[in-house]
Amino acid sequence: MLSRVANNLYWMGRYIERADHLARYSKASYFSSLDAPILKTFDRNFVLESILYMAGIFDMEQINEKDVLYKIGLDAQNSNSIISNITSARENARGARNAISTDLWEAINKYYHLVTNYPQETYLTTGFYDFTQMVSDQTSIVTSKIFGTLLHDGEYAIILIGMHIERAIQIIRIINSKLHDIYKIEQAGHTVTELSFEWTNLLKCVESFDMNRKFYRNIPNREQVLEFLIVNPNCPRSISFSLRGLKRYEKNISRNENHDINTISYKINKLCGQYDYLSFDEFKDDIYGLLNNTQAKVLEISEDFEMKYLSF
Amino acid sequence: MQQKAVYYKTFDMEMQATGLMNTYKLGNSHYDEVFKRINEPKSHYQPIVECFNQLSISDFERINNEVKTAFFNQGITFAVYSDEKKPDERIFPFDLFPRIISNEEWTKLEKGIIQRNIAINLFLDDIYHKKMILKDKVVPAELIFSSKNYLKEMDGFSPVGGIYTHISGTDLIKHIDGEYYILEDNLRCPSGVSYVLSNRMALKKSLFDLFNKLKSKNVYQYPEQLLEVLKTVKPKNVDVPTVVIVTPGMYNSAYFEHSFLALKMGIPLVEGRDLYVEKDFVYMKTIHGPIKVDVIYRRVDDEFIDPLCFRKDSMLGVPGLMNAYRAGNVTLANAPGTGVADDKAVYHYVPSIIKYYLHEEPILNNVHTYHCEDPSENKYVLENIDKLVVKPVDESGGYGISIGTTLSKEEIEEVKVKIKSNPRKYIAQPIMSLSVHPTFIEETKEFEPRHIDLRTFCLMGKNTEYILKGGLTRVALRRGNLIVNSSQGGGSKDTWVLE
Repeated sequence: MLSRVANNLYWMGRYIERADHLARYSKASYFSSLDAPILKTFDRNFVLESILYMAGIFDMEQINEKDVLYKIGLDAQNSNSIISNITSARENARGARNAISTDLWEAINKYYHLVTNYPQETYLTTGFYDFTQMVSDQTSIVTSKIFGTLLHDGEYAIILIGMHIERAIQIIRIINSKLHDIYKIEQAGHTVTELSFEWTNLLKCVESFDMNRKFYRNIPNREQVLEFLIVNPNCPRSISFSLRGLKRYEKNISRNENHDINTISYKINKLCGQYDYLSFDEFKDDIYGLLNNTQAKVLEISEDFEMKYLSF
Repeated sequence: MQQKAVYYKTFDMEMQATGLMNTYKLGNSHYDEVFKRINEPKSHYQPIVECFNQLSISDFERINNEVKTAFFNQGITFAVYSDEKKPDERIFPFDLFPRIISNEEWTKLEKGIIQRNIAINLFLDDIYHKKMILKDKVVPAELIFSSKNYLKEMDGFSPVGGIYTHISGTDLIKHIDGEYYILEDNLRCPSGVSYVLSNRMALKKSLFDLFNKLKSKNVYQYPEQLLEVLKTVKPKNVDVPTVVIVTPGMYNSAYFEHSFLALKMGIPLVEGRDLYVEKDFVYMKTIHGPIKVDVIYRRVDDEFIDPLCFRKDSMLGVPGLMNAYRAGNVTLANAPGTGVADDKAVYHYVPSIIKYYLHEEPILNNVHTYHCEDPSENKYVLENIDKLVVKPVDESGGYGISIGTTLSKEEIEEVKVKIKSNPRKYIAQPIMSLSVHPTFIEETKEFEPRHIDLRTFCLMGKNTEYILKGGLTRVALRRGNLIVNSSQGGGSKDTWVLE
């Protein structure tokens, strides 16, 4: 596989994953906030700020609902918007057109046209739910085409490495963002029941509410949500799961069997090993520390990976 | 049950609205490919016309829209850039009414095209080696040596199997006399074959019943045949060759075709920056290190393939590629320097070239060509511009063409000035009457006659030839327009060769 094509596939995977998390986070946060208990003490800007924080947008001087929704959804000038992510995903797919199946290409191309032709007025008035749900649905179609119409070899592995790296990073961002919100809510003196609403919301932001309920058979609380999203190896939206995916697919393309110190394989295995034996009690007092440390390591791995395989 | 009855009733009502072709008016002064007289199709079109007549206009429009959406989603589009940031993506118009060529007619065409391309290949071999045809004054030497497409770097070099034009696109038209004429040869990077395959797929999905009425030869073997042809010209001492396509990149207008062919052949699509040359061997940069490349189907023009040899500012090429080629370590398809033979001024000599090398009469007609650099022909051209098509010899894509009947007096004078300033650059031909074919026009919601031509695709490898059965029928969508190129508002049709 050409390094340039690998680079395209890797970034295609990352952009698809990134757009999906941004859409879901915005949708879940926005709609849950409409009748949230926190409205007693906070105004609607609270959730808009949360969405901007997660999207990495810090340059808005005045927060206005329509501007925020436009900026994260259809603003092609904002490189972090959903439309920009999908445009980049499609450009990368086009650059690797012959390395992917026709089915996958058409799914991505159709997705791109649906997003770029979405009427702006509808989006800002009645279409926000429809638009973000469409992003999730199209992501499902694209990922099913990745899974079902590509040979599970090098190309597939590269796309999945991109997706798992991005997923780990996005989940860390989302947890960070929600912890930040919850801290402010706690400070404002809300009750435990009211806080549980926010923990539920965090699960919904990563599509893990049903899974969490099934696993714990309990109303979501701090310990069970964080444990689930950080170390549960079977929740496909956990950090642990993302790192294991990264490890599995990196192994598919790595020809380096001796895990010398400082190789990519070594770094990934070491990080996964740490997560395999991590309990909530060990990190409950320094969750930010764990998340920041993990994020730094994932970024280091992604840089090494780009250097080794994707430079041309 | 009740609902089902209602459904049938609606369907019945729609079925009554027939006769899509009944409003078709023949183009009087042109050869109509389909109809002898109003409502009287030629025998080989009869079943297809009947099929179309059974569709209501609303059914037809629905199918037409479905096909357009499918092309859009497949990304068979070209971008139109405006002031706004986002380019406007448009599909290449595809007309659902297929062009049908009888087996008998095709057999003659196929023989003629192969004959022509074999002769052209011998001609290229000759002008880059012994130059006998020039010494015998069958073709003027200065015509060849003054061409910017004649590459001195190719002088004395023998490509594998003596093949220069591995892929050629021969354009034909049908005149009012019902005969085919060769319009031009495309011997560099002819494009359009991906549309042939996509058009067939689209027609099969949308109007599958047509295929029950008539049996067409299939077109799907083309990518396999192309790969086989490319493998026959592998360099010496290579067992299983690594074959790649080189594209200028995804912003090139033919990128869809480049990626389409790479996908169908299962070979890498590379850009110049993915390749490098070391000790006269070519390598591509992969995630696990370099891999040697043996055969390159390049879709980059001669002047851009190697900045060390040709244009120094080329970002699309591979430095050192020509040295690797001349060392015999990599094959380029087509060979560099083939453009000298598809120059519109050389076109005039192709019948003589056929006779010279093959000692045969040309099977297919040339359109008569006047050379503006010949003083007597120049005089005729200048006096008759209103009756002629004037073309620059070195442009493609329909650019720079002046059609006499459409010019104002001032424009005629402008053309005269251009010819006088550089006679070598221009040729002229009588205005040929391109045949017409019923084509659906969205504005009028009717089928109307529109001009068509035919691009055929011929492959030549070491001891092997292959012709795609049919080709790309291009249609000029604007009424009265003779230029069928997609860059000039043209569309295309599926083209059938009957079994």
